[in-house]
Amino acid sequence: MIRSVLFSTLLLLLCSFAQSTWFGAIAIFGVIPDIGLLVLIWVSYINGRIEGPLSGFLSGFAEDFISASPLGFHAFIKTAISASASLLHGTFYIDKLLLPIALGFSGTIAKALAAGILFLLFGSKIHTYSLIDSPLWIESAYNAILAPPIFILLSPLRRFLVTERGRR
Amino acid sequence: MPESLGLSILGFFQRGFAAVGGFVSDSVTSISELRKLRANYQEVTSKLERFTNIERGLADLREENKRLKEQLGYSKDIVYRRIAARIIAKDPENLYSTITIDKGVGDGIRKNMAVIAFQEGLEGLVGRVVEVGRGTSKIVPLYDSKSFVASRLASGTRTEGLVGGLGAPGDPLLMRFVKKRTKDEVQFGDLVVTTGFDSTYPADVAVGRIRKVRELEYQTSIDIELDPVMDFSRIEYVFVIRPEGPQEDTR
Repeated sequence: MIRSVLFSTLLLLLCSFAQSTWFGAIAIFGVIPDIGLLVLIWVSYINGRIEGPLSGFLSGFAEDFISASPLGFHAFIKTAISASASLLHGTFYIDKLLLPIALGFSGTIAKALAAGILFLLFGSKIHTYSLIDSPLWIESAYNAILAPPIFILLSPLRRFLVTERGRR
Repeated sequence: MPESLGLSILGFFQRGFAAVGGFVSDSVTSISELRKLRANYQEVTSKLERFTNIERGLADLREENKRLKEQLGYSKDIVYRRIAARIIAKDPENLYSTITIDKGVGDGIRKNMAVIAFQEGLEGLVGRVVEVGRGTSKIVPLYDSKSFVASRLASGTRTEGLVGGLGAPGDPLLMRFVKKRTKDEVQFGDLVVTTGFDSTYPADVAVGRIRKVRELEYQTSIDIELDPVMDFSRIEYVFVIRPEGPQEDTR
């Protein structure tokens, strides 16, 4: 379990660094994809239980330091998303196309909902997505399209990211 | 304090990622750059000749300006030091609009310092420093929805207002609380600059150009939409403005 959490957190941190430095080059209308979210969903969905939420919390907390968000913002969102994905563990067979697309899209919507909850609780300090503005829908579509190749790329890393229990 | 420490540690890795990205992109673009450089060299040489002539005139004007200021009693100005920095990262997600630069507390940068950049010969406001780490700093750009700057029209009525962002780099800026009676005097394309009233931003730094005037019957003020003078997607280098305190005008 510790190995899975450590490797997942490290991979999620690398995703954050890549997103903040390199992904401006592949932005669509200024919107970058969130591959960290896709990795987190995959890790949580495959492992189930605590590994995903723990990695989500740790990587989200680190992300708060390099973002202008209040401390705990990304930690909460990533923990909430990974906990939700963990609950789905074993519910559906993870194919190569449809489920990744559905998880990528719904994960982004879940992120917007989590940000919305924080906005309701803490008010103006929190930035949130607007349902009528394009960034949310561009990011959702972008993540949905990237989810199948990202999930395929993650498969060879199972031995590092997935616990014995998750691999069974 | 914990946020500065976190930024110092994680900023180190961000710098590494930015350096790798910069190396790859520089290598790819260097061939086409060479061709452009040759054309630019010719252009710059002819410009240099023109500027040499202008500089001679400028020296006279500076001298005259100094004399006039002395006569008016404005001989003491706040002198600003500019700390050059490179943008190495942006916010890892789309909700917030942080910009990270490669200079930190060791380079003299402090929280709430103003950040400017030069684009197409114009000095424009970029934002302000919100967090300083050892070798990196976080900037909140002007277009952020939580960013506010006291501003005024650069010419004519010098009408004042409060400029804020709408959240995305492509969105217009919004100048609020502008007196309604000045509605007929504002014109499309007029430049809006900082007032310098707050302690963060120096005066007369360009903010945006008037794009549209919004007027609602029940409001006592008008809102003015501005096009930012900076194209935020193209900024690579910025200057952090550090006030050095009142000094004798030696320009």
